[in-house]
Amino acid sequence: MNYISLIEYLPYIFEGLLWSLALVLGGLGIGFTIGLPIGTMITYSDKYTKFILNVYIWIFRSTPLIVLLFLFYWGVFPNIGLKLSPLITSIIVLGLRSGAYQSEIFRGALESIDEGQILAAYSLGMSKIQAIISITIPQALRISIPSLSNEYAILLKDSAICFTIGVLEVLTRARIVSIATGIALIPYLIAGIILMMMTYIGLKFFHTVYKKTVIPGLIEGI
Amino acid sequence: MISDTILNVVDLHKKYGDSIALDGVSFRVRKGETKVIIGPNGSGKTTLLKCLNLLVKPDKGRIWLGNIEITDPRININKIRRKIGFVFQDFNLFHHLTVLNNVMIGLVKVRKLKKHQAYKKAVDALSTVGLDNTLYHKYPAQLSGGQKQRVAIARALAMDPVIMLYDEPTSSLDPQFVNEVLQVIRKLAKNGVTSIIVTHQIDFALEIADEIIVMHKGRIIESGRPTELLSNPQNILTKKILIRNFRTLR
Repeated sequence: MNYISLIEYLPYIFEGLLWSLALVLGGLGIGFTIGLPIGTMITYSDKYTKFILNVYIWIFRSTPLIVLLFLFYWGVFPNIGLKLSPLITSIIVLGLRSGAYQSEIFRGALESIDEGQILAAYSLGMSKIQAIISITIPQALRISIPSLSNEYAILLKDSAICFTIGVLEVLTRARIVSIATGIALIPYLIAGIILMMMTYIGLKFFHTVYKKTVIPGLIEGI
Repeated sequence: MISDTILNVVDLHKKYGDSIALDGVSFRVRKGETKVIIGPNGSGKTTLLKCLNLLVKPDKGRIWLGNIEITDPRININKIRRKIGFVFQDFNLFHHLTVLNNVMIGLVKVRKLKKHQAYKKAVDALSTVGLDNTLYHKYPAQLSGGQKQRVAIARALAMDPVIMLYDEPTSSLDPQFVNEVLQVIRKLAKNGVTSIIVTHQIDFALEIADEIIVMHKGRIIESGRPTELLSNPQNILTKKILIRNFRTLR
Protein backbone atom coordinates (compact mmCIF):
# COMPACT_ATOMS: atom_id res chain seq x y z
CA MET A 1 0.00 0.00 0.00
CA ASN A 2 1.27 3.45 -0.89
CA TYR A 3 0.24 6.02 1.73
CA ILE A 4 2.68 8.66 0.40
CA SER A 5 0.94 8.71 -2.97
CA LEU A 6 -2.40 8.81 -1.17
CA ILE A 7 -1.37 12.14 0.38
CA GLU A 8 -0.40 13.36 -3.08
CA TYR A 9 -3.85 12.42 -4.30
CA LEU A 10 -5.67 14.28 -1.53
CA PRO A 11 -6.02 17.59 -3.44
CA TYR A 12 -7.44 15.55 -6.32
CA ILE A 13 -10.16 14.15 -4.04
CA PHE A 14 -10.86 17.58 -2.58
CA GLU A 15 -11.26 19.08 -6.06
CA GLY A 16 -14.19 16.74 -6.43
CA LEU A 17 -15.90 18.79 -3.76
CA LEU A 18 -16.43 21.58 -6.30
CA TRP A 19 -18.03 19.11 -8.71
CA SER A 20 -20.25 17.72 -5.97
CA LEU A 21 -21.24 21.24 -4.97
CA ALA A 22 -22.06 22.11 -8.58
CA LEU A 23 -24.21 18.98 -8.86
CA VAL A 24 -26.09 19.60 -5.60
CA LEU A 25 -26.57 23.34 -5.83
CA GLY A 26 -27.38 23.15 -9.55
CA GLY A 27 -29.79 20.27 -8.99
CA LEU A 28 -31.41 21.93 -6.01
CA GLY A 29 -31.68 25.27 -7.86
CA ILE A 30 -33.24 23.78 -10.99
CA GLY A 31 -35.44 21.59 -8.78
CA PHE A 32 -36.67 24.66 -6.89
CA THR A 33 -37.34 26.59 -10.12
CA ILE A 34 -39.39 23.67 -11.43
CA GLY A 35 -40.81 22.38 -8.16
CA LEU A 36 -42.36 25.57 -6.80
CA PRO A 37 -44.52 26.40 -9.85
CA ILE A 38 -45.46 22.76 -10.36
CA GLY A 39 -46.35 22.27 -6.70
CA THR A 40 -48.41 25.47 -6.87
CA MET A 41 -50.19 24.45 -10.06
CA ILE A 42 -50.96 20.98 -8.72
CA THR A 43 -52.49 22.54 -5.63
CA TYR A 44 -54.61 25.17 -7.33
CA SER A 45 -55.25 24.21 -10.95
CA ASP A 46 -57.83 22.07 -12.72
CA LYS A 47 -57.75 18.29 -12.86
CA TYR A 48 -56.32 18.08 -16.41
CA THR A 49 -53.27 20.19 -15.55
CA LYS A 50 -52.91 18.20 -12.33
CA PHE A 51 -52.95 14.96 -14.31
CA ILE A 52 -50.21 16.07 -16.71
CA LEU A 53 -48.00 17.34 -13.90
CA ASN A 54 -48.55 14.20 -11.86
CA VAL A 55 -47.32 12.14 -14.82
CA TYR A 56 -44.08 14.14 -14.80
CA ILE A 57 -43.73 13.67 -11.04
CA TRP A 58 -44.49 9.96 -11.29
CA ILE A 59 -41.89 9.41 -14.05
CA PHE A 60 -39.11 11.23 -12.26
CA ARG A 61 -39.83 9.81 -8.82
CA SER A 62 -40.24 6.23 -9.94
CA THR A 63 -37.32 5.91 -12.39
CA PRO A 64 -33.93 5.09 -10.87
CA LEU A 65 -31.46 7.96 -11.18
CA ILE A 66 -28.96 5.86 -13.08
CA VAL A 67 -31.57 5.08 -15.73
CA LEU A 68 -32.47 8.75 -16.04
CA LEU A 69 -28.81 9.70 -16.43
CA PHE A 70 -28.25 7.11 -19.19
CA LEU A 71 -31.53 8.02 -20.85
CA PHE A 72 -30.71 11.73 -21.03
CA TYR A 73 -26.96 11.44 -21.68
CA TRP A 74 -27.17 8.86 -24.47
CA GLY A 75 -30.78 9.19 -25.54
CA VAL A 76 -32.76 12.39 -25.07
CA PHE A 77 -30.10 15.08 -25.41
CA PRO A 78 -28.20 13.59 -28.41
CA ASN A 79 -31.52 12.95 -30.15
CA ILE A 80 -32.55 16.59 -29.91
CA GLY A 81 -29.13 17.68 -31.11
CA LEU A 82 -27.71 18.77 -27.75
CA LYS A 83 -24.12 17.87 -26.97
CA LEU A 84 -23.92 18.40 -23.24
CA SER A 85 -21.04 17.52 -20.94
CA PRO A 86 -21.56 14.82 -18.30
CA LEU A 87 -21.60 17.51 -15.59
CA ILE A 88 -24.27 19.65 -17.27
CA THR A 89 -26.35 16.58 -18.12
CA SER A 90 -26.10 15.40 -14.52
CA ILE A 91 -27.11 18.81 -13.13
CA ILE A 92 -30.14 18.92 -15.44
CA VAL A 93 -31.21 15.36 -14.61
CA LEU A 94 -30.72 15.89 -10.87
CA GLY A 95 -32.68 19.14 -11.23
CA LEU A 96 -35.57 17.51 -13.08
CA ARG A 97 -35.70 14.71 -10.54
CA SER A 98 -35.38 17.05 -7.57
CA GLY A 99 -38.09 19.22 -9.15
CA ALA A 100 -40.47 16.27 -8.97
CA TYR A 101 -39.66 15.71 -5.29
CA GLN A 102 -39.70 19.41 -4.45
CA SER A 103 -43.07 19.92 -6.13
CA GLU A 104 -44.47 17.37 -3.69
CA ILE A 105 -42.82 19.21 -0.80
CA PHE A 106 -44.39 22.50 -1.91
CA ARG A 107 -47.75 20.90 -2.62
CA GLY A 108 -47.84 19.52 0.90
CA ALA A 109 -46.84 22.87 2.37
CA LEU A 110 -49.42 24.79 0.33
CA GLU A 111 -52.17 22.36 1.27
CA SER A 112 -51.32 22.76 4.95
CA ILE A 113 -52.22 26.47 4.85
CA ASP A 114 -55.80 26.90 5.98
CA GLU A 115 -58.24 27.86 3.26
CA GLY A 116 -59.57 30.67 5.45
CA GLN A 117 -56.55 32.81 4.64
CA ILE A 118 -57.26 32.50 0.92
CA LEU A 119 -60.91 33.41 1.54
CA ALA A 120 -59.72 36.42 3.54
CA ALA A 121 -57.47 37.45 0.65
CA TYR A 122 -60.40 37.12 -1.78
CA SER A 123 -62.61 39.10 0.57
CA LEU A 124 -60.12 41.98 0.31
CA GLY A 125 -60.46 41.88 -3.46
CA MET A 126 -57.30 39.94 -4.28
CA SER A 127 -57.27 37.73 -7.34
CA LYS A 128 -56.37 34.06 -7.02
CA ILE A 129 -52.84 34.73 -8.30
CA GLN A 130 -52.36 37.64 -5.88
CA ALA A 131 -53.58 35.48 -2.99
CA ILE A 132 -51.23 32.65 -3.95
CA ILE A 133 -48.19 34.91 -4.42
CA SER A 134 -48.75 37.21 -1.44
CA ILE A 135 -50.35 34.89 1.09
CA THR A 136 -49.81 31.18 0.56
CA ILE A 137 -46.41 30.90 -1.14
CA PRO A 138 -44.50 32.97 1.45
CA GLN A 139 -45.88 30.72 4.18
CA ALA A 140 -45.38 27.51 2.18
CA LEU A 141 -41.73 28.39 1.58
CA ARG A 142 -41.14 28.69 5.31
CA ILE A 143 -42.92 25.42 6.00
CA SER A 144 -40.87 23.69 3.28
CA ILE A 145 -37.42 24.55 4.64
CA PRO A 146 -36.97 21.41 6.83
CA SER A 147 -38.05 19.18 3.93
CA LEU A 148 -35.79 21.07 1.54
CA SER A 149 -32.84 20.48 3.85
CA ASN A 150 -33.69 16.78 3.66
CA GLU A 151 -33.79 17.02 -0.11
CA TYR A 152 -30.33 18.64 -0.05
CA ALA A 153 -28.86 15.80 2.02
CA ILE A 154 -30.41 13.15 -0.23
CA LEU A 155 -29.33 14.95 -3.40
CA LEU A 156 -25.77 15.20 -2.14
CA LYS A 157 -25.51 11.45 -1.73
CA ASP A 158 -27.44 10.71 -4.92
CA SER A 159 -25.04 12.92 -6.86
CA ALA A 160 -22.38 10.22 -6.45
CA ILE A 161 -24.28 8.13 -9.00
CA CYS A 162 -23.32 10.67 -11.66
CA PHE A 163 -19.93 8.93 -11.81
CA THR A 164 -21.66 6.45 -14.15
CA ILE A 165 -21.55 8.99 -16.97
CA GLY A 166 -18.11 10.27 -15.99
CA VAL A 167 -18.68 13.13 -13.57
CA LEU A 168 -15.63 13.44 -11.35
CA GLU A 169 -17.34 14.22 -8.06
CA VAL A 170 -15.85 13.32 -4.67
CA LEU A 171 -16.79 9.65 -4.56
CA THR A 172 -15.69 8.96 -8.14
CA ARG A 173 -12.31 10.48 -7.36
CA ALA A 174 -12.04 8.40 -4.20
CA ARG A 175 -12.64 5.30 -6.31
CA ILE A 176 -9.96 6.34 -8.81
CA VAL A 177 -7.46 7.01 -6.01
CA SER A 178 -8.30 3.70 -4.39
CA ILE A 179 -7.48 1.87 -7.61
CA ALA A 180 -4.34 3.93 -8.30
CA THR A 181 -2.89 3.51 -4.80
CA GLY A 182 -4.19 0.08 -3.96
CA ILE A 183 -5.63 1.43 -0.70
CA ALA A 184 -9.15 0.11 -0.39
CA LEU A 185 -10.81 1.93 2.45
CA ILE A 186 -9.14 5.23 3.31
CA PRO A 187 -9.92 7.18 0.09
CA TYR A 188 -13.59 6.30 0.58
CA LEU A 189 -13.41 7.37 4.23
CA ILE A 190 -11.95 10.70 3.15
CA ALA A 191 -14.74 11.08 0.60
CA GLY A 192 -17.25 10.14 3.30
CA ILE A 193 -15.88 12.76 5.67
CA ILE A 194 -16.02 15.42 2.92
CA LEU A 195 -19.66 14.53 2.18
CA MET A 196 -20.49 14.52 5.89
CA MET A 197 -18.99 17.99 6.24
CA MET A 198 -20.92 19.20 3.21
CA THR A 199 -24.09 17.75 4.69
CA TYR A 200 -23.41 19.37 8.05
CA ILE A 201 -22.70 22.80 6.57
CA GLY A 202 -25.72 22.57 4.26
CA LEU A 203 -28.08 21.49 7.02
CA LYS A 204 -26.72 24.21 9.30
CA PHE A 205 -27.44 26.74 6.55
CA PHE A 206 -31.03 25.51 6.13
CA HIS A 207 -31.57 25.52 9.89
CA THR A 208 -30.30 29.10 10.13
CA VAL A 209 -32.62 30.19 7.32
CA TYR A 210 -35.48 28.38 9.04
CA LYS A 211 -34.81 30.09 12.36
CA LYS A 212 -34.53 33.49 10.71
CA THR A 213 -37.76 33.13 8.75
CA VAL A 214 -39.93 31.34 11.29
CA ILE A 215 -43.15 33.22 12.01
CA PRO A 216 -43.01 34.58 15.58
CA GLY A 217 -45.39 32.90 17.97
CA LEU A 218 -46.42 30.19 15.52
CA ILE A 219 -43.91 27.49 16.45
CA GLU A 220 -42.47 27.26 19.94
CA GLY A 221 -39.06 25.98 20.90
CA ILE A 222 -36.88 26.95 17.95
CA MET B 1 -85.38 50.54 -5.80
CA ILE B 2 -85.33 52.77 -2.75
CA SER B 3 -82.58 55.34 -3.24
CA ASP B 4 -80.78 54.74 0.05
CA THR B 5 -80.69 50.98 -0.43
CA ILE B 6 -77.08 49.78 -0.37
CA LEU B 7 -77.69 46.08 -0.74
CA ASN B 8 -80.60 44.40 -2.41
CA VAL B 9 -80.88 40.62 -2.27
CA VAL B 10 -83.52 38.93 -4.37
CA ASP B 11 -84.57 35.28 -4.19
CA LEU B 12 -81.22 33.68 -3.34
CA HIS B 13 -80.98 29.91 -3.61
CA LYS B 14 -78.05 27.68 -2.74
CA LYS B 15 -77.71 23.92 -2.44
CA TYR B 16 -74.78 21.79 -1.26
CA GLY B 17 -75.49 18.48 -2.97
CA ASP B 18 -79.00 17.59 -1.89
CA SER B 19 -78.90 19.82 1.15
CA ILE B 20 -80.68 23.16 0.77
CA ALA B 21 -78.72 26.00 2.37
CA LEU B 22 -80.70 28.95 1.00
CA ASP B 23 -84.24 28.70 -0.23
CA GLY B 24 -85.40 31.98 -1.70
CA VAL B 25 -83.90 34.63 0.55
CA SER B 26 -84.68 38.28 -0.19
CA PHE B 27 -84.02 41.45 1.81
CA ARG B 28 -82.70 44.99 1.51
CA VAL B 29 -80.15 46.88 3.55
CA ARG B 30 -80.33 50.68 3.76
CA LYS B 31 -77.34 52.97 4.18
CA GLY B 32 -76.26 53.15 7.82
CA GLU B 33 -78.51 50.28 8.82
CA THR B 34 -77.43 47.42 11.08
CA LYS B 35 -79.06 44.14 10.23
CA VAL B 36 -78.57 41.13 12.43
CA ILE B 37 -79.19 37.61 11.23
CA ILE B 38 -79.99 34.99 13.84
CA GLY B 39 -81.13 31.40 13.68
CA PRO B 40 -80.18 27.90 14.70
CA ASN B 41 -77.00 26.22 13.44
CA GLY B 42 -77.38 25.07 9.84
CA SER B 43 -80.08 27.59 9.06
CA GLY B 44 -78.02 29.14 6.21
CA LYS B 45 -76.78 32.30 7.93
CA THR B 46 -73.12 31.92 7.03
CA THR B 47 -73.90 30.73 3.51
CA LEU B 48 -76.07 33.79 3.04
CA LEU B 49 -73.31 36.11 4.23
CA LYS B 50 -70.71 34.43 2.02
CA CYS B 51 -73.05 34.72 -0.96
CA LEU B 52 -73.16 38.48 -0.45
CA ASN B 53 -69.56 38.87 -1.63
CA LEU B 54 -69.66 35.73 -3.74
CA LEU B 55 -67.23 33.77 -1.59
CA VAL B 56 -70.00 31.25 -2.09
CA LYS B 57 -71.70 31.42 -5.47
CA PRO B 58 -75.49 31.28 -5.24
CA ASP B 59 -77.25 28.83 -7.57
CA LYS B 60 -80.01 31.30 -8.30
CA GLY B 61 -81.01 34.83 -7.34
CA ARG B 62 -79.63 38.32 -7.76
CA ILE B 63 -77.69 40.70 -5.55
CA TRP B 64 -77.21 44.43 -6.12
CA LEU B 65 -74.59 46.49 -4.34
CA GLY B 66 -75.79 50.04 -4.91
CA ASN B 67 -76.80 49.97 -8.56
CA ILE B 68 -74.30 47.26 -9.59
CA GLU B 69 -75.59 43.75 -9.94
CA ILE B 70 -72.78 41.67 -8.47
CA THR B 71 -74.34 38.39 -9.57
CA ASP B 72 -73.93 39.48 -13.18
CA PRO B 73 -71.34 37.03 -14.56
CA ARG B 74 -69.64 39.82 -16.52
CA ILE B 75 -68.74 41.70 -13.35
CA ASN B 76 -65.17 41.65 -11.98
CA ILE B 77 -65.92 40.34 -8.52
CA ASN B 78 -62.50 41.35 -7.13
CA LYS B 79 -63.43 45.00 -7.70
CA ILE B 80 -66.70 44.46 -5.83
CA ARG B 81 -65.24 42.52 -2.92
CA ARG B 82 -62.91 45.36 -1.96
CA LYS B 83 -66.04 47.42 -1.23
CA ILE B 84 -67.49 44.74 1.05
CA GLY B 85 -65.71 44.28 4.37
CA PHE B 86 -65.86 40.70 5.60
CA VAL B 87 -65.02 39.60 9.13
CA PHE B 88 -64.63 35.85 9.61
CA GLN B 89 -65.50 33.74 12.60
CA ASP B 90 -61.94 32.35 12.72
CA PHE B 91 -60.26 35.72 12.06
CA ASN B 92 -58.31 34.35 9.06
CA LEU B 93 -55.43 36.74 9.59
CA PHE B 94 -52.36 36.22 7.44
CA HIS B 95 -49.97 34.37 9.75
CA HIS B 96 -46.76 35.55 8.10
CA LEU B 97 -47.59 39.26 8.29
CA THR B 98 -47.43 41.65 11.22
CA VAL B 99 -50.58 43.34 12.46
CA LEU B 100 -49.74 46.43 10.43
CA ASN B 101 -49.00 44.47 7.27
CA ASN B 102 -52.19 42.45 7.67
CA VAL B 103 -54.09 45.71 7.43
CA MET B 104 -51.85 47.26 4.78
CA ILE B 105 -51.70 44.37 2.33
CA GLY B 106 -55.14 44.94 0.83
CA LEU B 107 -54.46 48.65 0.48
CA VAL B 108 -51.13 48.07 -1.27
CA LYS B 109 -51.94 45.02 -3.40
CA VAL B 110 -55.59 45.72 -4.22
CA ARG B 111 -56.13 49.44 -3.91
CA LYS B 112 -52.58 50.12 -5.13
CA LEU B 113 -51.92 52.79 -2.52
CA LYS B 114 -48.36 53.89 -1.89
CA LYS B 115 -46.85 52.40 1.24
CA HIS B 116 -46.95 55.62 3.26
CA GLN B 117 -50.62 56.16 2.33
CA ALA B 118 -51.44 52.57 3.22
CA TYR B 119 -49.57 52.93 6.50
CA LYS B 120 -51.61 55.99 7.44
CA LYS B 121 -54.91 54.31 6.63
CA ALA B 122 -53.87 51.15 8.47
CA VAL B 123 -52.94 53.10 11.59
CA ASP B 124 -56.28 54.96 11.41
CA ALA B 125 -58.19 51.70 11.14
CA LEU B 126 -56.22 50.06 13.95
CA SER B 127 -56.82 53.00 16.24
CA THR B 128 -60.54 52.92 15.37
CA VAL B 129 -60.69 49.35 16.67
CA GLY B 130 -58.71 50.43 19.73
CA LEU B 131 -55.63 48.31 19.17
CA ASP B 132 -52.64 49.42 21.19
CA ASN B 133 -49.80 50.60 18.94
CA THR B 134 -47.32 48.39 20.79
CA LEU B 135 -49.01 45.48 19.00
CA TYR B 136 -48.58 46.84 15.48
CA HIS B 137 -45.42 44.84 14.82
CA LYS B 138 -46.60 41.64 16.48
CA TYR B 139 -47.66 38.60 14.47
CA PRO B 140 -51.17 37.10 14.71
CA ALA B 141 -49.93 34.10 16.71
CA GLN B 142 -48.73 36.50 19.39
CA LEU B 143 -52.18 38.07 19.90
CA SER B 144 -55.20 37.14 22.01
CA GLY B 145 -58.40 36.12 20.26
CA GLY B 146 -60.00 39.51 20.88
CA GLN B 147 -56.98 41.34 19.50
CA LYS B 148 -56.94 39.09 16.43
CA GLN B 149 -60.59 39.81 15.70
CA ARG B 150 -60.04 43.54 16.13
CA VAL B 151 -57.17 43.37 13.62
CA ALA B 152 -59.47 41.47 11.25
CA ILE B 153 -62.08 44.20 11.61
CA ALA B 154 -59.43 46.88 11.01
CA ARG B 155 -58.22 45.00 7.91
CA ALA B 156 -61.71 45.07 6.45
CA LEU B 157 -62.41 48.62 7.60
CA ALA B 158 -59.21 50.06 6.10
CA MET B 159 -60.49 49.26 2.61
CA ASP B 160 -63.29 51.85 3.10
CA PRO B 161 -66.08 49.33 2.51
CA VAL B 162 -69.62 50.45 1.81
CA ILE B 163 -70.87 47.62 3.99
CA MET B 164 -69.37 45.37 6.68
CA LEU B 165 -70.32 41.71 6.96
CA TYR B 166 -69.58 39.94 10.24
CA ASP B 167 -69.80 36.15 10.33
CA GLU B 168 -70.25 35.14 13.98
CA PRO B 169 -67.42 37.46 15.01
CA THR B 170 -67.35 36.33 18.63
CA SER B 171 -67.97 32.60 18.26
CA SER B 172 -64.29 31.64 18.32
CA LEU B 173 -63.46 33.86 21.26
CA ASP B 174 -62.93 32.98 24.88
CA PRO B 175 -65.67 34.63 26.97
CA GLN B 176 -63.34 37.29 28.39
CA PHE B 177 -62.60 38.62 24.88
CA VAL B 178 -66.17 38.79 23.57
CA ASN B 179 -66.94 42.25 24.92
CA GLU B 180 -63.93 44.01 23.45
CA VAL B 181 -64.99 42.83 19.97
CA LEU B 182 -68.67 43.64 20.49
CA GLN B 183 -67.69 47.12 21.64
CA VAL B 184 -65.85 47.74 18.37
CA ILE B 185 -68.78 46.50 16.27
CA ARG B 186 -71.17 48.60 18.38
CA LYS B 187 -69.00 51.68 17.92
CA LEU B 188 -68.80 51.23 14.15
CA ALA B 189 -72.54 50.66 13.86
CA LYS B 190 -73.24 53.78 15.91
CA ASN B 191 -70.91 55.73 13.63
CA GLY B 192 -73.13 54.80 10.71
CA VAL B 193 -71.16 51.92 9.19
CA THR B 194 -73.69 49.79 7.33
CA SER B 195 -73.46 46.29 8.77
CA ILE B 196 -74.85 42.81 8.52
CA ILE B 197 -74.02 40.68 11.53
CA VAL B 198 -74.56 36.96 11.89
CA THR B 199 -74.47 36.14 15.56
CA HIS B 200 -75.64 33.89 18.35
CA GLN B 201 -75.28 36.77 20.86
CA ILE B 202 -79.01 37.44 21.13
CA ASP B 203 -78.72 40.20 23.73
CA PHE B 204 -76.23 41.98 21.49
CA ALA B 205 -78.51 41.48 18.47
CA LEU B 206 -81.43 43.01 20.31
CA GLU B 207 -79.36 45.94 21.46
CA ILE B 208 -77.65 46.83 18.20
CA ALA B 209 -79.98 45.81 15.38
CA ASP B 210 -82.15 48.15 13.37
CA GLU B 211 -83.71 44.99 12.05
CA ILE B 212 -83.35 41.35 13.00
CA ILE B 213 -83.72 38.60 10.43
CA VAL B 214 -84.57 35.15 11.76
CA MET B 215 -83.51 32.26 9.53
CA HIS B 216 -84.48 28.62 9.60
CA LYS B 217 -83.80 25.91 7.02
CA GLY B 218 -82.51 28.40 4.46
CA ARG B 219 -85.50 30.73 4.67
CA ILE B 220 -86.22 34.00 6.40
CA ILE B 221 -89.01 33.01 8.75
CA GLU B 222 -89.43 36.43 10.32
CA SER B 223 -87.88 39.86 10.38
CA GLY B 224 -88.50 43.11 12.13
CA ARG B 225 -87.33 45.63 14.67
CA PRO B 226 -86.01 44.10 17.90
CA THR B 227 -88.83 45.62 19.96
CA GLU B 228 -91.47 44.28 17.57
CA LEU B 229 -89.97 40.81 17.55
CA LEU B 230 -89.61 40.77 21.30
CA SER B 231 -93.11 42.00 22.03
CA ASN B 232 -94.95 40.20 19.30
CA PRO B 233 -93.05 37.35 17.64
CA GLN B 234 -95.10 35.76 14.87
CA ASN B 235 -93.16 32.56 14.59
CA ILE B 236 -92.80 29.98 17.33
CA LEU B 237 -89.09 29.54 16.57
CA THR B 238 -88.48 33.27 16.86
CA LYS B 239 -90.18 33.15 20.19
CA LYS B 240 -88.01 30.28 21.32
CA ILE B 241 -84.72 31.81 20.16
CA LEU B 242 -85.39 35.39 21.09
CA ILE B 243 -87.31 35.34 24.30
CA ARG B 244 -85.61 32.37 25.90
CA ASN B 245 -82.14 33.76 25.24
CA PHE B 246 -83.17 37.25 26.19
CA ARG B 247 -84.55 36.15 29.54
CA THR B 248 -81.69 33.81 30.24
CA LEU B 249 -79.21 36.54 29.58
CA ARG B 250 -80.96 38.81 31.95
